[in-house]
Amino acid sequence: MSHTIAEKILAEKSGLKSVSSGELVTARPDKVMSHDNAGLVIRHFRSIGSSKVFNPGKIIIPLDHRVPAESEKTAIAHKSIREFVEEQGIEAFYDIREGICHQVMIENGHVKPGELILGTDSHTTSYGCLAAASSGIGATEMAAVWATGELWLRVPETIRIEVNGKFKSGVTPKDLILYILGQLGARGADYKSVEYYGNTISNMPVSGRFTIANMTMEMGAKFGIISYDEETEKYLQGRVENDYTPVYADPDADYCEKYEYDVTDLTPQIAMPHRVDNVVPLSEAAGIKINQVVIGSCTNGRIDDLQIAADILRSKKVSKKVRLLVIPGSRSIYIQALKNGILETLLEAGAVVLNPGCGPCLGAHQGILAPGERCLATTNRNFKGRMGSTEAEVYLASPTVAAHTALTGEIPDRV
Amino acid sequence: MGKHKTDKPLILKGRIRVVPVANVDTDMIFHNRHLHITEPEEMAPHIFGNLQGWENFPKEAEKGDILIVGHNFGCGSSRQQAVDGFIALGVAAIIGVSFGAIYKRNTINAGLPLIECTDILGSGIQDLDEIELNLETGTIKGIDSKILINGRPFTDVQKDIYYAGGLLNLVGD
Repeated sequence: MSHTIAEKILAEKSGLKSVSSGELVTARPDKVMSHDNAGLVIRHFRSIGSSKVFNPGKIIIPLDHRVPAESEKTAIAHKSIREFVEEQGIEAFYDIREGICHQVMIENGHVKPGELILGTDSHTTSYGCLAAASSGIGATEMAAVWATGELWLRVPETIRIEVNGKFKSGVTPKDLILYILGQLGARGADYKSVEYYGNTISNMPVSGRFTIANMTMEMGAKFGIISYDEETEKYLQGRVENDYTPVYADPDADYCEKYEYDVTDLTPQIAMPHRVDNVVPLSEAAGIKINQVVIGSCTNGRIDDLQIAADILRSKKVSKKVRLLVIPGSRSIYIQALKNGILETLLEAGAVVLNPGCGPCLGAHQGILAPGERCLATTNRNFKGRMGSTEAEVYLASPTVAAHTALTGEIPDRV
Repeated sequence: MGKHKTDKPLILKGRIRVVPVANVDTDMIFHNRHLHITEPEEMAPHIFGNLQGWENFPKEAEKGDILIVGHNFGCGSSRQQAVDGFIALGVAAIIGVSFGAIYKRNTINAGLPLIECTDILGSGIQDLDEIELNLETGTIKGIDSKILINGRPFTDVQKDIYYAGGLLNLVGD
């Protein structure tokens, strides 16, 4: 029988010869990740009465959501996490300086093709950019994994999406995933795995694939996987040991749905408040006045995203009507952007550059919105109240659209 | 997983609260400004604090209430507080048209009964009605009305976790 990537990975991690969608399995993840909410996981873990985690070498904890601590409560939670990793001998602990958990995971070789990775963050689907099956789980579940090293999972059905064609100038992977989200909807891939194929995807660097896998979660997906190829291999060189075995779908694997898209005529897309699938072409949002622009997040905080912004803002000025916040996704991206002049360009244009982390994306700090304000962000969610006030609005778009918006203080009709 | 037999009832009777809103995300259930909270009792008063029209839900909640929700309830973050808050309020079960994937797992693993029922909102069921919910069969029956509708029954995994009072109690053995 033929199988999808999700079925093959879950079979292997469950010690079974083969599994099919709909089956419940008890799987042993290769790695597990928690960020600041490790504090909550620790609380649940203690409540079980467990004293030792199943394997400290498989637990990764980057602090990124509220860094540096924005309140005493967060400071206390961070402190408890530092004490816990020390006590348990968890070496892959990344304190507040390293950056956004998902970026830290791939940069530091914690993700390999064919692996099963669970994290207490919904955007854990991001590691599909390196052909891993990865998904978000809750803090209670994670406490159980810390204790036993395993978790029950339902083998998801798989949707196959093929994308072909070359992007027009100014169109990016973000526009593609926003477009797909608009087409399939916020429930379009509920409980399902999504596999991406086609020459648009194979010609896309890992950074863009990350954006796609990351926002596949917004369709409700369990996994968003880009099959292993030369680009994956190139990214992994020097980051991981060459001891992994890529997992491919069988040519006649059983897909529950199949979609094909051609990006040749795709234009920049924008998700309007307050739903991620409320997606329209940029021109339909043109002229809307914006108070704050955010370029960053796990979705679009990589070097090529910052480069796009710098190229647009070079020798120009950010409009005085708008606040531009730039947040490199990780310390290494920050250093790279510093060395190659991107940060200088952005600062000269009038950007406020923040430390690597989630920043205002989840409304914790660093750019909270007032009632009536509008923010255009390269982030992944525009739920009501996502960035602070529930009376504020968040628009989601690419770094290209974001940088152009920063120049005028309003959404452009074209880029 | 072990077979736990406890005194946990498979038939629940209670007052229902109907929240017929689609795509209620985790920020509407438990707003990000309260994310630092780790004690369930402190989570309770903030439940639905960002869902227009339902801000008073925690004040009005009674122990044993059964919550009825629409499509894709709990989409968004992996936010545990959005489940634990309901447990702290004494909500006995959640019946929904459908659920966000992570939310569904979180609820099941927290030991809070969750039943999917595609037709629940069109069943004529009214806010504050009393119902009888059979977890094993998925049957939902109006106590003072003639309503009778079938949701998806508990899976074996759900039953084990529910009997144990949550996944952590299964693990702790």
